[in-house]
Amino acid sequence: MRDRELRQWRALVRDRADREWRALSSDVVDELACHLADLHGSALAVGASDDEARRRALDVLNAASFLELSKRPRARRFPGGHMHDIRLAVRQLRATPIVTVVAVLSLALGIGANTAMFSIVDSLVLRALPVRQPGRLAIVSDDGHRAYWMTYPIWSDIQSRHLFENAFAWSTARFNLAERGETEFVDGIWTSAGIFDTLGIAPILGRGFTDADDRRGGGPDGPIAVISYSFWQRRFGGAADTVGRRLTLERIPFTIVGIMPPDFFGPDVGRRFDVAIPLGAEPLVRGKETFLDGPWTWWLAIMGRLKPPQSIETATASFRGVLPQIRAATLPPNASPETWASNLKDTFTLIPAANGDSGLRARYQRPLIAMMIVVALVLLIACANIANLLLARAAARVHEMSIRRALGASPWRLARQLLVESLVLSTAGALLGWLVARWGSQLLVRELSTQTNTVFLDLSLDWRVLGFTATVTVATALLFGIAPAFRSSKVEPIDALKEHGSASARGTSTAMRIFAVRINLAGSLVVAQVALSVVLVVAAGLFVRTFSKLATLPLGFDRDRLLVVTVDMQRAPIDAVTQSLRPAQRVPTLERALESVRRLPGVRGAGLSLLTPVSDGGWNGRFEVPGGVPLTDRERRAYRNMVSPGWFATFGTLILAGRDFAETDRAGAPPVAIVNEAFARHFLNGASPVGRTVRQAARAPGEFAPAGFEIIGLAADAIYKSVRDPVPPTVYTSIFQPGGPPFASLRLTVRAAIGPPALLSRSVAAAMTAVNPDFALTFRTMSDSIDASLTQERVVAMLSGFFGGLALLLAGLGLYGVTAYAVARRRTEIGIRMALGAAPGGVVRLVLTRVVLLIAAGIALGAGLGAWAAQFVASLLYGLEPRDPATLAAAAITLAATGTLAGWLPARRAARIDPAAALRES
Amino acid sequence: MFVAFASCAGAQHLISLDDIPDSRIKSVVVEFTSTIREAKKGTAELVVLAFLEDESCHGYELTQLIEARSGGALTFNFASLYATLYKLEERKWIQGRWVEKPGQRRRRYYTITAHGRDVLAAQRKEWRRFFELIRDLAGVTYA
Repeated sequence: MRDRELRQWRALVRDRADREWRALSSDVVDELACHLADLHGSALAVGASDDEARRRALDVLNAASFLELSKRPRARRFPGGHMHDIRLAVRQLRATPIVTVVAVLSLALGIGANTAMFSIVDSLVLRALPVRQPGRLAIVSDDGHRAYWMTYPIWSDIQSRHLFENAFAWSTARFNLAERGETEFVDGIWTSAGIFDTLGIAPILGRGFTDADDRRGGGPDGPIAVISYSFWQRRFGGAADTVGRRLTLERIPFTIVGIMPPDFFGPDVGRRFDVAIPLGAEPLVRGKETFLDGPWTWWLAIMGRLKPPQSIETATASFRGVLPQIRAATLPPNASPETWASNLKDTFTLIPAANGDSGLRARYQRPLIAMMIVVALVLLIACANIANLLLARAAARVHEMSIRRALGASPWRLARQLLVESLVLSTAGALLGWLVARWGSQLLVRELSTQTNTVFLDLSLDWRVLGFTATVTVATALLFGIAPAFRSSKVEPIDALKEHGSASARGTSTAMRIFAVRINLAGSLVVAQVALSVVLVVAAGLFVRTFSKLATLPLGFDRDRLLVVTVDMQRAPIDAVTQSLRPAQRVPTLERALESVRRLPGVRGAGLSLLTPVSDGGWNGRFEVPGGVPLTDRERRAYRNMVSPGWFATFGTLILAGRDFAETDRAGAPPVAIVNEAFARHFLNGASPVGRTVRQAARAPGEFAPAGFEIIGLAADAIYKSVRDPVPPTVYTSIFQPGGPPFASLRLTVRAAIGPPALLSRSVAAAMTAVNPDFALTFRTMSDSIDASLTQERVVAMLSGFFGGLALLLAGLGLYGVTAYAVARRRTEIGIRMALGAAPGGVVRLVLTRVVLLIAAGIALGAGLGAWAAQFVASLLYGLEPRDPATLAAAAITLAATGTLAGWLPARRAARIDPAAALRES
Repeated sequence: MFVAFASCAGAQHLISLDDIPDSRIKSVVVEFTSTIREAKKGTAELVVLAFLEDESCHGYELTQLIEARSGGALTFNFASLYATLYKLEERKWIQGRWVEKPGQRRRRYYTITAHGRDVLAAQRKEWRRFFELIRDLAGVTYA
């Protein structure tokens, strides 16, 4: 209890310091938290209520300024001589500002990108939930990775068996805050009362949930909600009297009873809840269509805290032991034997939930690993570049080094000096990279968010990210610093004298030896750089082409100028008794709305449907076409949608044979259906379906509803749930004919005659609320939905494209640097050659030959490496082979062109050397 | 607006800021304010040292003691108190140590060091001399 309280105060102190942009050491945070906890305790002791006591302590915290505390000096002392090395290193780096700036910038990008990626991996994959003993938490799963969603009856049964010390069930949701008209969503969760006790988290103000709150229809305090700290700050400005205030959710007034600590975001990683509502209040929102009664509504994830000293294996064994009883108690008696067999299979297992549950993690783990490798390669390329720069400088500093040797410096002292320079360089890069990482990771998280899914990741500092950056910084410094340091330590004191001797003496000096070695080493570094760049450019090519293929894929409809309005009629009171629109009245009411929308200026067409493509939902069933292809029960699966007349025309989906639904296809008329080409191919081997009958399967396998639908039309194939998936067999039925599932929301799709469809939102909202003022309306353009469904591919393409380009730039810079350096060194030789009659073209060839050889070696190595590595990203590609020859060839040509250009610029300068001037200088 | 100064004759004397040339006003006020601020800082350190002279205390206890013994006249801002404690610790006048007593949460107790005692004695002497001076010059006495 005391620990939990202290943890909360610690979190508040940290949050306060963060808002003041102050960094406090953990000792200071602990001490201040202790002080506040004492203050809180003393207030309680003199009779203040818990809220009042907290408020007093919060007032003290809020009135404080952390300016002086953050400056708390700490004793730091560098071991002897190192401070001097650092000063010297800084001076050296300042002496060659361009080299330093290029090096620091490429390191900043390299280290920054690595840190950004790692901080996302850290928060998504590695970091434990900020709760009490997260290692004791477990979730119920069937695949060993994610939570398996259960029905409410199953959750009630599990809860009553006390399999865990504490447990809770939850489901993510978005709640509408708007009191009427257009929706304003907030991320929330439905949760059972045990959530806060199970996780060991207490609200900082007010209270959590009690079992009484979880009673069906609400507890003694009516509908209640607990809100997050950030929502408290955002919506209520952190007002101390927020507890007790009202908050309208889904048009129902809820009372706020508690505020959670700042670092608590809920059981889902990648998402933050702002409002938590007890499951018991769900029937208030969904009315008769409540999920609590649904034996087929799988929506609740379950997390429990293991009983000590239970291990996850023993807990799984005892869970599996009671599965048959749970199944018997929760499956409806009319369930088919297939359902009996497939429901609550024995493969259920408990998996550790220290890191929470995360759909984002499941989806992005592979792309993230691919991107981690990409950014690591970028850093390697940057290191190769800097190593080359430093080698060049080491060769130029041979004289300085030999003098220092002559003055008594040991070889180790010289090597140390150069290593310190590398470390200073990489530290400067890391510091700047840190800013790049903060900005980059936040940008990336924003890019992952869509209109309907706000991604939240806790990107605050932790020891892992700090350790990673520190390790990368030191490793980078060693990687690019060790070769120049080693070479410089080999300098002999006598070289100082030789350097000032005759030109012939110079031929045998260490400077020349170093130069010769440098050329070899630099050549190898360039080859490595080009090879790695080829890999990155190949990866970029594959990902960018995947995205562009998906983005330009024919969808089966015209995505532009479509506005989709999701109409939620749950809280549209028509019926005086149930206070909600009776399902039977929903379609006629919407039809009136549809008519008035169709009459609006700027509207070319409009249609109603249960679902729209790439929406969150899907509806499938098993079908048969008498006289069609014989299929197994599993193969009979097809998707379904219910649409109004004019829906196909609104989407621009062609009716290839037969006719569209007509106004006369209503209740009472013969049931009709339209199927798509995929359906005709799958069920009828491509024969015309028009005039045939399609029947939907009953629950038991092999049985079908006696009354079928007459197929009146064949629609062109159009995507259903995802752009990536092949078009599934789909059956469309008329929305005006009975037979659909109970639904509270429908989609009205509007095609704009001209201009952006979003501009129609206002007039459509006005027309619809004139029909029923209690419709909850959500507007989204179809283009936006499709773009959002390709977020993963877009982000991967964007990142790999950026890093591929960066790799190309770095490789080009590297080649340019090496060639320019070689030209400068060979100035005299080139001058002599030209004086002896060499043509400028010959000089360019002389210089370029070596560059071209290096590039060719790099490309050959890189192409092999790229072809081998591409197999690991095969699952992230679409419509492309991992060893796509066109992509490999394009990457090779790009690298060859960039490299040749980078080599040609210094070669051209070499050809313009004035022989007389070059010979005079020598 | 008036500022109180002690005149060299010993009697309290009021100087109107209007009597001072404009260019001087700012510097006089700044000088005066910073003197007071420095004096206040010095006093805070003296008070903390004095309270720790007889027994070790943790931060919260110290605020309670100071508030109680000064009858509420002297209060410390939460953050300033710890800033003062850390400063004294840096100077090695006091020493902080995390102590966990049975049945209580872990707290940081501060103890005066031998060096701190010397400083306290010296400061007391200094303040005493200062007040004697003020008494002689301004006729102000202190309890």
